[in-house]
Amino acid sequence: MKLGYYPGCSLESTAKEYDMSVREVFKALGVELVELEDWNCCGATAAHSVDYLLSLALPARNLAIAGKQNLNIIVPCPECYQREWSASEALAANSELLEKVNELLGNGLQYEGNVEVKHPLDTIINDIGIEKLSQNIVKPLKLKAVPYYGCVIVKPPRKKKFDSPENPVSMDKILAAIGVEVLPYDLKTKCCGGPVMLASEDIMLKLSYELLKKAKAAGAQCVATACPLCHLALDAKQINIEKAYNEKIDMPVLYLTQLVGLAFGIAPKKLGLDKNIVPVEKLLKSL
Amino acid sequence: MEEPIRLTECDPNFIQEVAEAGGKNVQLCFQCGTCSGGCPTAYAMDYTPRQIIGMVNLGMRNEVLKSGTIWVCSSCYTCMTRCPRGVEITKVMAALKSIAIKSGIETKNKKAAAFYKTFVEVAGAYGRLFEPMLFLKFALKAEDSLTGSVARLLKDAPFGLELTKKGKLAFMPSKVKNMQQIKKIYEKAMGGSK
Repeated sequence: MKLGYYPGCSLESTAKEYDMSVREVFKALGVELVELEDWNCCGATAAHSVDYLLSLALPARNLAIAGKQNLNIIVPCPECYQREWSASEALAANSELLEKVNELLGNGLQYEGNVEVKHPLDTIINDIGIEKLSQNIVKPLKLKAVPYYGCVIVKPPRKKKFDSPENPVSMDKILAAIGVEVLPYDLKTKCCGGPVMLASEDIMLKLSYELLKKAKAAGAQCVATACPLCHLALDAKQINIEKAYNEKIDMPVLYLTQLVGLAFGIAPKKLGLDKNIVPVEKLLKSL
Repeated sequence: MEEPIRLTECDPNFIQEVAEAGGKNVQLCFQCGTCSGGCPTAYAMDYTPRQIIGMVNLGMRNEVLKSGTIWVCSSCYTCMTRCPRGVEITKVMAALKSIAIKSGIETKNKKAAAFYKTFVEVAGAYGRLFEPMLFLKFALKAEDSLTGSVARLLKDAPFGLELTKKGKLAFMPSKVKNMQQIKKIYEKAMGGSK
């Protein structure tokens, strides 16, 4: 299997360990990831908050590049994933809008509406399958974790939805397959406040505090996530949350692909586990 | 809303303006409040999402664009997922932000407006987001004084340093090669839809 790879901006910086672990895991699964040539920022939540047409044209440029390379794309960052698929669906449904957007892209690059957008959870569950995943496991992980999806991996539901927007289970299934005891967690799609982190930090601190507290109360040794912004809020900002609520939390937050990589026997360093902010050493030793 | 709503001061074209900015189906709302019930940030809003949609329907352009609500929305899409009438609530919130920014209206949350503007500016300058520049420019834009900006930067410095130590903040931006094309997209989009 060969897929166009759209890392997006955060996987080049604050979520480097997500990029590293995604590449390692998909290599092990025999999927070739071809990075899109000269991709651009999808615009995230900001573009539509400034200009609607811009919020379609930015992801459309990436879709057009993928189309030119004749590739469907896989997008690990949920924000980018949501921007890319919603642009692809909006443009597929409205030829007038597609024409407008293509005019913005200019003569050299046109989007022809032929690119499929996938999230790694979807690819692993539906294209690769749990069976193939299981064949790669050399070290089942004996640990307890809560699966945290965040918002936009499953919301809003797209036409070709791969999981439930209210009670998704794809990450649960993958974690269970690699040996993790998946604990019940009713906040699995509750917002962490990441998008308002800079402008309204108190909101992010409150929402993320609730997520971490509930994970701890459930008896989790770590939170599993698949979103760079959730990870930034829960991991890098955990020290700020502890200060704001005067409470030691000490909850490691790992990308799903870091956990899968560990179960595949891939070296922690190759999975960027030295880049997580909340220390993971104790957790790694216990495995 | 203690003041009476004066229909003579309402804008009958507001629904259309919001739809063109990417927020459709407002007129289908029957005020059930499912959106407000599931909203994780409603506690910090001056008007709930249900109220905002109702106000858009009445054409209360000024009140809506001046509200703090639209800036507190974290774009989680819970409301839009659950709406039984197919109102594109989250997209309406984004559309309202864009209308407020374009009309230069005085908002209750200057910081949030500054964040979105700065994000688009930085992503437009490099084609990709360069976080150190986002932090810097946001600090300058969000605060009223230079002292305020410096204080914000100092407060966030340990966070930036921690990320840098882990090799997660670049010193140089990762740039799109075909910047001419990126610049054209930004110019045409922002110029064309005003």
